[in-house]
Amino acid sequence: MSQDPHHPPPDPGTVRLTLSVNGAEHELRLDSRVTLLDALRDELGLYGTKKGCDQGACGACTVLVDDRRVLSCLTLAAQCEGRQVSTIEGLSADGRLHPLQEAFLRHDGFQCGYCTPGQIMSAVALLREGRTGTDDEIREFMSGNICRCGAYPNIVAAIREVAGEGAR
Amino acid sequence: MTMTRPVIVGAGVDRVDGPLKVAGAAPYSSDIDLPGMAHVALVRSTIAAGRVTRLDTGAAEQLPGVLAVLTHHNAPRLATGPATNLGPTPPPPLQDDRVRHHGQYLAVVVAEKPYQASAAARAVTVEYEREEPVLRIEDPAGEVRTDPFGMDSARGDSAGALAAAEVVHEATYVTAENTNNPLGLFATVAQWSGGRLTVHDATQWTSNTCQTLAQMFGVPESAVRVHAKYVGGAFGSGLRVWPHVVLAVMAARTVGRPVKLVLSRPEMFTGVGHRPNTVQSLRLGAARDGRLVAIEHEALQTVAMDDENMEPVASASASAYACPNVTTRDRQRRLNIPCPGSMRAPGEAQANFALESALDELSYLLDMDPLDLRLRNYAEVQPQFGLPWSSKALRECYQVGAERFGWSRRDRRIGAMRDGRWLVGYGVAGVSYLWWQVHCEARATVGRDGTAYVRSAATDIGTGTYTVMRQLSAELLGLELDQVRFDLGDSDMPWSPQAGGSGLTGALGNAVHAACRELIRAFLRTVVNDSASPLRGCTIDDVTVSGGRIHHRADGKLGESFVAILARHGLDELTADGVSDPPDPQEVGLAPAGAFAAKFVEVHVDPELGLLRVPRVVSVVDGGRILNEKLARSQIIGATVGGIGQAILEETVTDPRTGRIANANLGDYLVAVNADIGEIDVTFVGEPDRLTPVGTKGVGEVGLPGTAAAIANAVHHATGKRIRSLPITIDELLD
Repeated sequence: MSQDPHHPPPDPGTVRLTLSVNGAEHELRLDSRVTLLDALRDELGLYGTKKGCDQGACGACTVLVDDRRVLSCLTLAAQCEGRQVSTIEGLSADGRLHPLQEAFLRHDGFQCGYCTPGQIMSAVALLREGRTGTDDEIREFMSGNICRCGAYPNIVAAIREVAGEGAR
Repeated sequence: MTMTRPVIVGAGVDRVDGPLKVAGAAPYSSDIDLPGMAHVALVRSTIAAGRVTRLDTGAAEQLPGVLAVLTHHNAPRLATGPATNLGPTPPPPLQDDRVRHHGQYLAVVVAEKPYQASAAARAVTVEYEREEPVLRIEDPAGEVRTDPFGMDSARGDSAGALAAAEVVHEATYVTAENTNNPLGLFATVAQWSGGRLTVHDATQWTSNTCQTLAQMFGVPESAVRVHAKYVGGAFGSGLRVWPHVVLAVMAARTVGRPVKLVLSRPEMFTGVGHRPNTVQSLRLGAARDGRLVAIEHEALQTVAMDDENMEPVASASASAYACPNVTTRDRQRRLNIPCPGSMRAPGEAQANFALESALDELSYLLDMDPLDLRLRNYAEVQPQFGLPWSSKALRECYQVGAERFGWSRRDRRIGAMRDGRWLVGYGVAGVSYLWWQVHCEARATVGRDGTAYVRSAATDIGTGTYTVMRQLSAELLGLELDQVRFDLGDSDMPWSPQAGGSGLTGALGNAVHAACRELIRAFLRTVVNDSASPLRGCTIDDVTVSGGRIHHRADGKLGESFVAILARHGLDELTADGVSDPPDPQEVGLAPAGAFAAKFVEVHVDPELGLLRVPRVVSVVDGGRILNEKLARSQIIGATVGGIGQAILEETVTDPRTGRIANANLGDYLVAVNADIGEIDVTFVGEPDRLTPVGTKGVGEVGLPGTAAAIANAVHHATGKRIRSLPITIDELLD
């Protein structure tokens, strides 16, 4: 049933691309159907970005592409050629937690932790978007990230704290 | 021995698994990557009842990367799994040609890449002989099981008391099917190696998964090891060994390679349980002064054709209030549906909505404040057995809650309170959560470097077990937090029950307590005849621990460190095991109490648009001794959010003709998002429970029940509309 690995059939669906993730460039040869999410996880071993629905409804797979938050499950890897992809692994690359990561820890903004990378990447973008003026604004613009454990009030508190520090 | 370092326990210590989680570095089972790993995709039934007449896998087998396709024709025959305290194991999959529900697994595809497996699964064609499915809870074609849990109860003469009651309220309450939907897609990684099986799974119960897989695949338990270090939520859906876990193990054995199976979100609706919908009839009888004279509660719920779900609903009403005449009855109707299962506060989430809504309705018939009605019928002793509670501070929950919420500002008239265009309603509900504790084991070691290693096969599904057990171990051994490692999530560790029923912290905490005491005894035995030891001849009652030392209670200087004892006796470490078993209530003369809670809710309703908002929920909880207030608070917040979902958003919709779930995704199955949640105020009251040394009462579930009833009661207060069916939707609120 499996193919002879020495004579693979020509596959017109394969694409070659350079993916820039957290500042590092990766040469990939992928099936054109592979999403950015699956490329990050299965090809690059970056398991910090999570799959919660694979349908663009939960936000667990949120990453930044050219500093804007995108759902990596609805983005094809092939669309990201020449763009900068940032994931949770890049946030604490120097071994020190990002202020948002520390605030999530301090405010217990998670329980099972599965949605957390997506929440934090969304929050990073939220600060840049200037959508942290009020608690209601934070709630509204964090509503693309489901937390089934229900840590929402603590997530808002963590983001509010970091936004407040930025303002000072 | 006494505990001398209360500062470690109770304090709001940050989650010890937190740094990994915020860095995205905590490995959930779907993140496990093994060399040579293949991937599994599933083929599911597209009918709800009948027989498979033809399964064509030829096209799938020819697709790139495909390694194997398993169906009931070529799958190995498996033994049934063991019965547990939650009932039988789900029947093993792919054993025959019967179709019992839409979404049942019919074939398994193994391929090199996940997308190759998915593509091949779509290429499998199935033909069926269809039968008429039984799909609706009210369909008389479905067999009804009477008293399926053996927990139906009757005390006094409820029928007679109702006939004679001065005031009677009778109504039917309906709750929708809900789906657990932990955000972590359930995943199983399985690897066979030399007759030994290693599994990484999203389970709440590694010990049971180990025993079940061993029995099904005919290997000794010692040859099976199940890991669940991090679980991306579960809320009850990880309590059983569901068929996909078995299929992953089967696939790994077939292809002789490690495999990974990750359920899709739609598969999470059909394969890992759900909260069953219910129809409940309530009859309350009361005297004019508000004293309850009768409660009759009858609950009908759904269950699968070929599987069981242990979920008593009505029986929770037998112990909630002081009432001499109470009858509770549970019924289950068998349907062609995926088997229901536990979902956070199983049974009580549905029962509490009915009972606490009915009490609110009764309060209007009596022209009585609904809070006063509950206090009037406060159960000072456990009403079924007449025993004193091991702890109960529900009265304080009501009092503190009323104060924090501002209940006295409530204008009792319907629709009298407004905030601009919004009608404002206040509602209250009480919660008497049932007690649950089972056998648990733990092991504790102190080594030559003076640090401790404590472990058990338990799981931490986000509840905080890693953290609170480390705190507790540190306290019990007189060590600092950073001198203790607590590990879990490995079936090779001492046997643990499920993280479920709000029972793990109690069971495991007491096992850890026993293990740590045994360990101190082991140190004392080591020096019992040691003339060099100031602890020579001491028993555990003579000593206490602090600063890494065991010393006399009366004289802190008279003692020595763990390290000194080990060094002088040439030992690398000492290890001891501890066991906890639930106490016998009759023997101790106390009724074991679960947690209690009072919920106060404010709702805003826009009568023109039918919009319903919940800006404020005040929860006051008697959870016994709280090991970590920060994490316990998160449990109550999260459960309250779940309760808001149950109340106003969540409903799994099954097509009544085909049995297909019509909203099996997170776009159409609505759960609460951040903007749905307002202020959630949480306060803990009460004392350590008297029943066990550790004194905890589980707080994982008590925050959910009461939320829906308090919301429905507040909606009635705001609008005059009595909604007896969950979820409460816009159409029901439009004038």
